[in-house]
Amino acid sequence: MDHRLEQLKEQYSQIPIPEELNAVVLQALNRSSRRRTARRRWISAAAAAILIVLIGINTSPAVANAFASIPGIGQWVKVVTIREYFVEDERHNADIKVPEISNLGDDKLSAGLNEKYLAEGKQLYEQFQKDMQELRDGHLGVDAGYAVKTDTEDLFVIERYVVISMGSSEEKLKYDTIDKRNHIALTLPMLFKNDQYIKAISENIIEQMRQRMKDDPNQIYWIEGAADELSEDEWFRTIKPDQSFYIDASGHLIVVFDKYEVGPGYMGVQQFTIPTEAIAELLASDQYIK
Amino acid sequence: MSSRNSALVPFIMEHQDNIYRLAYSYVHNKDDALDVVQESIYKAMKTKSPLQDSSAIKSWFYRIVVHTALDLLKKRKRVQPIEDEQLHAIMDESEDHYSDVDMTRSLEQLPDKYRIVVVLRYFEDLKIEEVAEVLHENVNTVKTRLYHALRLLRIEMSQPS
Repeated sequence: MDHRLEQLKEQYSQIPIPEELNAVVLQALNRSSRRRTARRRWISAAAAAILIVLIGINTSPAVANAFASIPGIGQWVKVVTIREYFVEDERHNADIKVPEISNLGDDKLSAGLNEKYLAEGKQLYEQFQKDMQELRDGHLGVDAGYAVKTDTEDLFVIERYVVISMGSSEEKLKYDTIDKRNHIALTLPMLFKNDQYIKAISENIIEQMRQRMKDDPNQIYWIEGAADELSEDEWFRTIKPDQSFYIDASGHLIVVFDKYEVGPGYMGVQQFTIPTEAIAELLASDQYIK
Repeated sequence: MSSRNSALVPFIMEHQDNIYRLAYSYVHNKDDALDVVQESIYKAMKTKSPLQDSSAIKSWFYRIVVHTALDLLKKRKRVQPIEDEQLHAIMDESEDHYSDVDMTRSLEQLPDKYRIVVVLRYFEDLKIEEVAEVLHENVNTVKTRLYHALRLLRIEMSQPS
């Protein structure tokens, strides 16, 4: 090749690759399957107009009562958006919805939860404002909200999700699993006789990961034998004692991992349903997990 | 992720740097280049990729990138169609200059349609036929453009392969 052409090629190959490229690629490959996490930018050169809306929803007691007294079935928990932080300008957008639970049958329990949700929302919003000031360029987005995952006679589960996009995106899920009859917020250790559940669940999940990778070569989990380019201490070996979880309407234990926790970003948030027989012997009671 | 795109995903993962540079060579800034990469992947994933063969996937996907980049430039109205007179002015100018011309700048000074054939043929190592496929032009047009491009860059073209 001509010397000058070589030179040009050399310069071309030195076009710097931005750090966030990989995240953008993975996210694009993964877009169809997850909640909107798209990189969004506003091209408008107009001066930034920031709009902040704080919504306080006054719930009608009549509606609340109507929900509360559906005959024949236990109590129906009511969830509304009590506050929404909304910011949008050409480079920033935040939409943070804060839930409020009522009609849980225990005012102290719901007050405690609601206080926590308000604090979470406020904290997200304050962090967003801080990041907005520090981030000179690029796009910053926060999308947070909630969903009711389970609402049976015995159990109520509320999920809170947070998607933060700053070049790449981060996604986190949190759950509160409430025993409606006894008015208790359940924790993972509470469900089991002793801490052997950690090993039993971890082994089951690793087995499921291997099966999923076998079924679909596009799936990658960071476990031994599949992510050998990672150092060993980055492999997933065990769940945390208080790993995110919830119990679904049919009484199955679902273990949840945040984005990046057990696999590359395009894998998104990961959930595993633990077959009850894999943990049956370790359960403290058969009241919740069936 | 659908299995029909099973060859596409590894291709994109493996060549993401090349894809980015190709996009960058059109739009010349990081944010737009990332947008082009993102948008191209969306488009590709939505479509059934035509073949499993990796070189066919390459031409097919690069074509999407090229189109996406051109669309973006069009939206920004930064594309100025180059008239023959202007082209000759550039050619004459470059012929009047000596070898201390900054080469990157002169590559960037080339109109898009000339620059892209150089990028694809020499930097991305596509065959002339593949370049033609990417650009949806016939082989002779590509050869002509390549010849012009190299002449503009004051590069002696060795025997075309």
